[in-house]
Amino acid sequence: MRVLLKASTCIVGLSLGSWLALVDCSFALAGEINGRVIGPDGEGIAQAVVFVQTLPAGVSSPTPLAAAHMDQVNEQFAPTLLPIPVGTKVSFPNQDQIHHHVYSFSRAKRFEIPLYRGEEEAPIVFDKAGVVKVGCNIHDWMAGIILVVPTPFYAVTAGDGSFTLRDLPAATYPLVSWHERSQTAVEETLQQILVDEKVPNVTFSLTLKSGGSRRPIRGSRGYR
Amino acid sequence: MTWWVRSSLRTKIFLAFSSLILAVLLSTLWFTQLFVSRQVQATLKEELLTTGQVFQGLIAERATRLLTNTTLLAGDYALKQVLVTYHPLTLSSVARNYQQRIGVDLLWITDEEGNLLGDSRGVPNASVELATLSALSQVLATEESLAVISVVDGTLFQLAAVPILGPDAIGFLVLGQGIDDRTARQLRDDTGSHVSFVTQGKFFASSWSPQVANGNSLQRRLRDELRHDMQNMQDMQDMQEQTRVVTVAGERFLSLAVAIESQLPVPLYAFIQRSYDEALAPLSALRLRIILIGGGALVIALFVGGGLASGMTAPIQTLVHGMREVLKGNLDLRLHVDREDEIGFLAQSFDEMVEGLAEKERIRDTFGRFVSRSVAEAVLEGKGALRGEKREVCILFQDIRGFTAISERTDPAALLNMLNQFFTEIVAAVEAEGGIVKQFTGDGVMALFGAPVKHDDDSERAVRAALDMVRRLADLNIRLAAQNLPAIRIGVGIHTGEVVAGQIGPDERIEYGVVGDPVNLASRIEGLTKEMQTTILVSESTAALLGPGFSLGRSAMFSVKGKEKPVRVVEVLGYEV
Repeated sequence: MRVLLKASTCIVGLSLGSWLALVDCSFALAGEINGRVIGPDGEGIAQAVVFVQTLPAGVSSPTPLAAAHMDQVNEQFAPTLLPIPVGTKVSFPNQDQIHHHVYSFSRAKRFEIPLYRGEEEAPIVFDKAGVVKVGCNIHDWMAGIILVVPTPFYAVTAGDGSFTLRDLPAATYPLVSWHERSQTAVEETLQQILVDEKVPNVTFSLTLKSGGSRRPIRGSRGYR
Repeated sequence: MTWWVRSSLRTKIFLAFSSLILAVLLSTLWFTQLFVSRQVQATLKEELLTTGQVFQGLIAERATRLLTNTTLLAGDYALKQVLVTYHPLTLSSVARNYQQRIGVDLLWITDEEGNLLGDSRGVPNASVELATLSALSQVLATEESLAVISVVDGTLFQLAAVPILGPDAIGFLVLGQGIDDRTARQLRDDTGSHVSFVTQGKFFASSWSPQVANGNSLQRRLRDELRHDMQNMQDMQDMQEQTRVVTVAGERFLSLAVAIESQLPVPLYAFIQRSYDEALAPLSALRLRIILIGGGALVIALFVGGGLASGMTAPIQTLVHGMREVLKGNLDLRLHVDREDEIGFLAQSFDEMVEGLAEKERIRDTFGRFVSRSVAEAVLEGKGALRGEKREVCILFQDIRGFTAISERTDPAALLNMLNQFFTEIVAAVEAEGGIVKQFTGDGVMALFGAPVKHDDDSERAVRAALDMVRRLADLNIRLAAQNLPAIRIGVGIHTGEVVAGQIGPDERIEYGVVGDPVNLASRIEGLTKEMQTTILVSESTAALLGPGFSLGRSAMFSVKGKEKPVRVVEVLGYEV
């Protein structure tokens, strides 16, 4: 956890200034990056996020940012992992028939939506890159992560660890990967990838902490 | 052992019986003591081991309770909110608040990296990190809840550390409950056993009163005792599961070491003590009861033993008494013991024996009046027969010459006196030769030789007796003359012949006697002495039986009444050896 939080601090430090400066850059020919995130054993890692750490010179954010939402369904966050570009507004619609009390004490974004049902509160703007861990005050087992990435270019790996970054103007991108349980600092995963006619194939190697996610198990008395 | 030999049979039986009862009582007491003592020790050890387990359970229960409290508190949203202020002053104040609310001894709040932010004891030293507490570094690494026993500032603490989740760990909450004398006393109240927490180097807490006893603190004494123990023990493992007796303030305690899992660099032990003397108290009561019951049994046994000894020896005493009476000459005593055992046999034999003695005495009495003691004893010894039989007997008849004239001119008292002196001499003469005086005929006697006791020379004995009578009469007449009494002359007739001898007469008056013609003939021969003017006459058959030494005189033929043939008689003059 310490490692992850330190990594998120790095992202915050590197992101905003350079990205905002390059917003007005013109679009070049769009390209793709394919790749996989794998573990030391070569097995693909799902639910990893690959994102461009900083926009290269001449590349601007493609479109106005889409709104995002993290629902509460059956007393769980859906999705449990929500990567968003910095500045995105996220709403937390409650689909359950009961109240929820969504909060985060993360340094990247501290917020609280006291007990509510439905979607009454205004969306939250995530204006700092980093890991925001979201919980529910009255349901300890509910946990979600909003990964605020510095650029709009990101992808979540599929079950086999594969990902595709689309609509990338031709340029050389600083690409990094992140996973909740990664022991590898985000900075150490940095790869400069040239996007042109060819579709580059990138592989990230991450070492995950052993064991599953340390999520509180619903119905259990303790934390295992 | 002289006293034993001398003491009576009753005393011996009584002592033997009492000793046996006493031995049984003492051995019962000893075995009971041994058995119960072992039993108590085993039970106490078992109880102590159980207490040890209960004790570990209590410690675990305390840890669980502490962990539950910590977990509950860590879930408090307000705590999470105040934690992310990361403001040490506020957090220490909150720590004090929660510490008082829950009633724990220690409360720490750290950030997610284990840096101490809030301390219930005051504003924390910034340099203190959770990681430096080896006990809690594990919590930091795994973010798992943990309860441990560790030392904080020299005090033993049960600590529970739980991550504060928001929803991942945003910090850690640590609650601590001190293990001190108060805790030990609480455990003592719960389990009934004294408890002390010690490591090889330190004595942390004890339920023993720190008050001074006998000039020394009980805790200190126990501490010294345990320290001494540990120094002697090569391996602390040896002490586990082993009980030993320690003496504290004069009371014995059974002590057991129980290992307590802790994060200390050296093993932590709880020493549990339970009073050995207290557990043995029921044994003392039991011993007292056994002594009382046994004492009662002994008294009863002594009475029973006394009765038994008396009962067993009573017939023997009766026998002894009877024997003494017999020795005194009382032959009328009969024991009449109605038993069929050995004693009954003895008593019956005694009665039969006395019966036999009495019979002999009666026989002796029967003869005693007219036979000499020697003759009577000879008969009793079986040398003579009493039953009726035909046998050859020599019969002697003696008579006083002119007795009628003497009796007429003599005073009756003097007459009787004279007769008594006379018969004394006559009887002496008969008995001196082994005969018996069968009958007194007023002025004479009838004597038998050869019945009931037979001799080879009965006829010679009869003749010698007659000669002796004559000699004795000469002496007697001198004495009678001195008394102015008349002189006595006698005639003696002797005959030897076959007669029927035996006991004659009705039961009450039975006596020994002879029947037959020779008796009459002897009497006739005595009568002939007057006619022949002589003193002693014997029949021809008797004369034929006399050996050498006898001087015979005249002989004559007489026709005797009742006899067809005349009878020859011979005068006896003397006898020389």
